[in-house]
Amino acid sequence: MSNLNTKATAQNTYDAIVVGSGISGGWAAKELTEKGLKVLMLERGRNIEHIKDYTTAMKKPWEFEHRGWLTEEQKRTHPVQKRDYPYQEYNESFWVNDLECPYTEVKRFDWYRGFHVGGKSLMWGRQSYRLSDLNFEDNLKDGHGNDWPIRYKDIAPWYDYVEKFAGISGQAENYPHFPDGQFLPPMEMNCVEKSVKKRIEDHWKKARIMTIGRTANLTVEHGGRGKCQYRNLCSRGCPFGAYFSTQSSTLPAAVATGNLTVRPYSLVNQILYDKESQKAKGVLVIDSESMEHIEYYAKIIFVNGSTLGSTFLLLNSVSNEFPNGLGNGSGQLGHNLMDHHFRCGASGRAEGFDDKYTYGRRANGIYIPRYRNVGGDKRDYVRGFGYQGGAGRGNWHAEVAEMAFGGEFKDQMTVPGAWNMGLGGFGESLPYYENRVYIDKTKKDKWGQNVLAIDCEFKENEQKMRIDMMNDAAEMLEAAGMKDVKTFDNGSSPGMAIHEMGTARMGNDPKNSVLNKWNQMHEVKNVFVTDGSCMPSAACQNPSLTYMALTARAADYAVSELKKNNI
Amino acid sequence: MDRRDAVKSVAFLLGGALSATTIGVFLEGCHSSGTKNSANLFSAEQEKLITEIADIIIPTTSTPGAKAAGVGPFISMMLKDCYPEEAQKAFVKGLEDVEARSKKEFNKSFLDIDAKERSKILGVIRDETVAAQKAESDKTEAERKAKENTISKKSEKEEAGKPMAAKERGKKPAYFFAIARDLTLLGYFTSEIGATQAYAYLDIPGRYDGCVDLKPGQKVWAT
Repeated sequence: MSNLNTKATAQNTYDAIVVGSGISGGWAAKELTEKGLKVLMLERGRNIEHIKDYTTAMKKPWEFEHRGWLTEEQKRTHPVQKRDYPYQEYNESFWVNDLECPYTEVKRFDWYRGFHVGGKSLMWGRQSYRLSDLNFEDNLKDGHGNDWPIRYKDIAPWYDYVEKFAGISGQAENYPHFPDGQFLPPMEMNCVEKSVKKRIEDHWKKARIMTIGRTANLTVEHGGRGKCQYRNLCSRGCPFGAYFSTQSSTLPAAVATGNLTVRPYSLVNQILYDKESQKAKGVLVIDSESMEHIEYYAKIIFVNGSTLGSTFLLLNSVSNEFPNGLGNGSGQLGHNLMDHHFRCGASGRAEGFDDKYTYGRRANGIYIPRYRNVGGDKRDYVRGFGYQGGAGRGNWHAEVAEMAFGGEFKDQMTVPGAWNMGLGGFGESLPYYENRVYIDKTKKDKWGQNVLAIDCEFKENEQKMRIDMMNDAAEMLEAAGMKDVKTFDNGSSPGMAIHEMGTARMGNDPKNSVLNKWNQMHEVKNVFVTDGSCMPSAACQNPSLTYMALTARAADYAVSELKKNNI
Repeated sequence: MDRRDAVKSVAFLLGGALSATTIGVFLEGCHSSGTKNSANLFSAEQEKLITEIADIIIPTTSTPGAKAAGVGPFISMMLKDCYPEEAQKAFVKGLEDVEARSKKEFNKSFLDIDAKERSKILGVIRDETVAAQKAESDKTEAERKAKENTISKKSEKEEAGKPMAAKERGKKPAYFFAIARDLTLLGYFTSEIGATQAYAYLDIPGRYDGCVDLKPGQKVWAT
């Protein structure tokens, strides 16, 4: 009997376990396997094989039965995913059935999830921006949240490292607090964007700039992957491997080492704590198809289950030593949840470009980096926002009457109409302790687990910022000569930006943070958490590139500590 | 900015051709029991009627129209699969109304009158729809203002955070003509005929050029 157990244990033992296979999990697997560790990557959902399983990627518009729309049945089974645009017929299989994995919304929180190998790396927006010392110092300076335990110099070489591998296209700008990176050639702005850029930069004497979006789409062949074909169908999975995803990039690298085992349908329910060694000894997995419970063991555990997925796992990993969740002596686990607030800005009509058009569909827009509360600028709120947007020419004609129909109308619809330029702000939200998640024991999911309760709201600082987000956009568009400039604020509920961050923050002090400066749990030294849950502040930039850099950095540290027998 | 403008800005992002009713269905969906027993939603005559109505909205010009692009069956299918029961009922009622108006005015079925007569009937229904939607949006606006006045009486703390919440769209009445027109445009311009003949379709552009001279006769790019 004990022999059998020993054998089974040996079979289920690896050097490292990576929980999750999305952007950060893929990086953890790549780095750890390339450093020689035998790694088990656990993914709660199904496998999606690169290219072969992108079943809608090459479909033409008329090959979608509902032309992208959702059926009533899909709306019924996806009451959360349907709330905003990402969940459509084009990639509907990449989004969770909400009925199988409910959660409790103490206040409205839109939780977008994809359970499959690759996670949200298949559907992500690909915008990739570095944080700067402006961001790393904000918490310390204005007193919201806790101080970041790192500064730009600590992570800069790791941004270099991940950008070189992932392939980020962009334009170097040498603009304060907006660090340049290792860029592939930038995508091109269209003629309206070029004009708007020039006029904004002239008007504000480069105190405000506009640059082409920095995106994880390849503008040239890179690392054996094909370049972007300008179809703008990225979220279906790219058959050319032209954007960074686990499948296109980190997974093949990890597999090539011969050190990786991927196990789909493996829902990690708990991290198992060993009080003798004061370390985690492994994980308890629920096979999400067979419901079988299996234990796996390792020297190192990387937790990369998405911000709220990871925090749920830690909260659910209770023991006599950690009755409130693994490594939660600080009481901060589950707190300080953040997301970007957005969906407000302005748009206007460009005149004078009627003889110009575009060719190809660019899966990218423009970016205006943060300029508020920088240097001498002081507003009645703290932090700031950046803008994303772009110009385009569709079939809209001012002279077409409301609800027109008939032959003349039809023919007019086929002629390129007005150029429009829009700017939408992405604002930083503050890390409020009371914005939190906890386990709701009154409900269970399909796999018998309790569910997460989310209690999060934006507050006064975010609201005040939105006024600037609207008015500044209008002001810039007007300065750039746009006509009929209109502001909009469609409201923003937490979760909608799919940039949820925090709930297991890093910090120097174990008394008020969950992770140290290496993303290592203060209290459980062989557990590393390197997805969005680690973020002490949200900044206003799209965060995934930072998760990549933090993950590679943490993996490097973890392996060196392992070699020194420190963990 | 008021709600109507908010909806319009969404319309802008979607390409500008869709009505508020459709955007409501598209973005918000409706909580309804939906889909049950909708297989027999339309009679065979009504299916024909839908095809003819779509072909008046998008007729053959220098390129084939809605009928050639199979838009009629597409509309029937979309109503069955993607619309809540209330909208389905409103649409069936709208079809009955079209037929009744044709009988009243021309003493014939809509299927037996000519294109000019059909356009006349649909034009009247369109005008009525535009007016009804305007009245509805004015009413919503008045209600919103009244509500705002009530809210401003509450303490600031009580309302903190709430004004930012993503706007919940209230239930809007479903208008037959708006649905028919939206689905005709959607179905036509995403059909192979519409996308490749009325529009210009590039399957794999291979490159992006942000500033090309507009060539004579250049059609709008299909997406």
